[in-house]
Amino acid sequence: MNSPNAPPPIERVLFTAEQIDARVREVAAQISADFAGRELKLVAVLKGSVFFLTALARHITVPLRVDFLAISHFTNQPGAPGVVRIAKDLDDAIEGEHVLLVEDIVDTGFTTRYLLQNLAGRGPASLGLCTLLDRTSRRIARTPINYSCFEIPDRFVVGFGLDHKQLYRNLDCIAVIRPE
Amino acid sequence: MAIISVSGDPGCAHEDLARAIAQRTGCELVTRSELEEMIAADFGNQQIPDRAWPPLLRSAIGRLAVNRHVVYSLEGGERLFHGFPGVLCVLLIASPARRIGAVMVDRQVDREAARRFLRQREIEVLAECKRRFGRGHSRLHEFDLILNDHQQSPEMLASVVEAAIQSRGLLEQGTLSAAAEAQVQFLARLQLAKFGLTPPDRAPAERNGFGHPTEEIFARLLDFYRIEWQYEPRSFPLQWDKDGHVMEAFTPDFFLPAFDLYVELTTMKQALVTKKNRKIRLLRTIYPHVNIQVFYQKDIQDLIVKYELAERASAH
Repeated sequence: MNSPNAPPPIERVLFTAEQIDARVREVAAQISADFAGRELKLVAVLKGSVFFLTALARHITVPLRVDFLAISHFTNQPGAPGVVRIAKDLDDAIEGEHVLLVEDIVDTGFTTRYLLQNLAGRGPASLGLCTLLDRTSRRIARTPINYSCFEIPDRFVVGFGLDHKQLYRNLDCIAVIRPE
Repeated sequence: MAIISVSGDPGCAHEDLARAIAQRTGCELVTRSELEEMIAADFGNQQIPDRAWPPLLRSAIGRLAVNRHVVYSLEGGERLFHGFPGVLCVLLIASPARRIGAVMVDRQVDREAARRFLRQREIEVLAECKRRFGRGHSRLHEFDLILNDHQQSPEMLASVVEAAIQSRGLLEQGTLSAAAEAQVQFLARLQLAKFGLTPPDRAPAERNGFGHPTEEIFARLLDFYRIEWQYEPRSFPLQWDKDGHVMEAFTPDFFLPAFDLYVELTTMKQALVTKKNRKIRLLRTIYPHVNIQVFYQKDIQDLIVKYELAERASAH
């Protein structure tokens, strides 16, 4: 555990708070235009996507609802769940609704593919994906991304919801951390 | 022995269910492509008549079931071991909306295209089953368990199948005895003889001997996300001598059929990967249709950090 007083091990800032704000506004405007005249449901994945969801939702101008889900996470420990499953499901059904899955980062695409498959099976009128960060260099599962704020290099990043050992989610920028 | 057959209409998550059952019960998952590769390894490029497939599949699965419990997902698979003790046949059904939704995501197409694709697949599967088994449609009474995946995850459904396996004591009865396997092979040989095919006595069925612990972790990660994988299924010749003998080849670590993608993991330091990079460049030049993704040491370290594999699970 890092010392509470230790500064974040930031190597460099990739995107400042101002850059993030400007880009989120652009993407929100695009979403508002695409869904004009319709009602939208934003579905965010706990926990990392919450910061992006709130920033995005504030700038979207069409009527919208939000809902959350969480999934089990992979661990190599004995006795851990063997396959991915929904750990916290949506509160409401999405059948017939226009749904936008909001992700903090799409990396290998494993998690996003699983979530999209799961949501698609619930009969939404449409299903799209909006991500804050898109790291294409490690993509395995091809994932259709409708809205992406930033493409990032092959580095481990934190901030704006992304963590390292649950820390640094509250950074207002997106930064590369120094490897330990 | 336990031989678990999992079937379902196109667009059902029956392969995911088979994988989840394997995870929960410790049975070994045998995919359709693995079975087809076993048969191809036995018979090379020899043309296999359609009606020879059932005894060939029985022979291949029988050989695997000698020293492990097996779960397989195959269209018409419930007909392979009908009446055998120790066999559980599971059918997964799903609403058209759910199946269409799955195709929309998998193939990244709109609803109408998904509907057309599904219809086409249904026609193809029916035709294949008819050619191979003599009839297209399955008969419901041939299944021991019929599950509806509406609002239920493969994990939940797998727990139902696990309960059925336990209630019948399938795992406690041991794997296929030598005598029973001999009977399976004898019957298969008898049926195959009229097609001029002779299966081998024993398959070299030991699989998944990973070359590095990282590969095993990666395989578990793929299992976690229910992504079908094959370990080192193919070598690609890269250089030949003047007589056509292969001088150099490259064998990627994994093949992921769902994405038509090979994955190579390298744990060497970045400075030492030059030779491997050269091979990968050559592979991409000689086989431009082959998709390959390389994970370098840094990528693997990031995955280890992301999933906190050295310590505990985390939510990123």
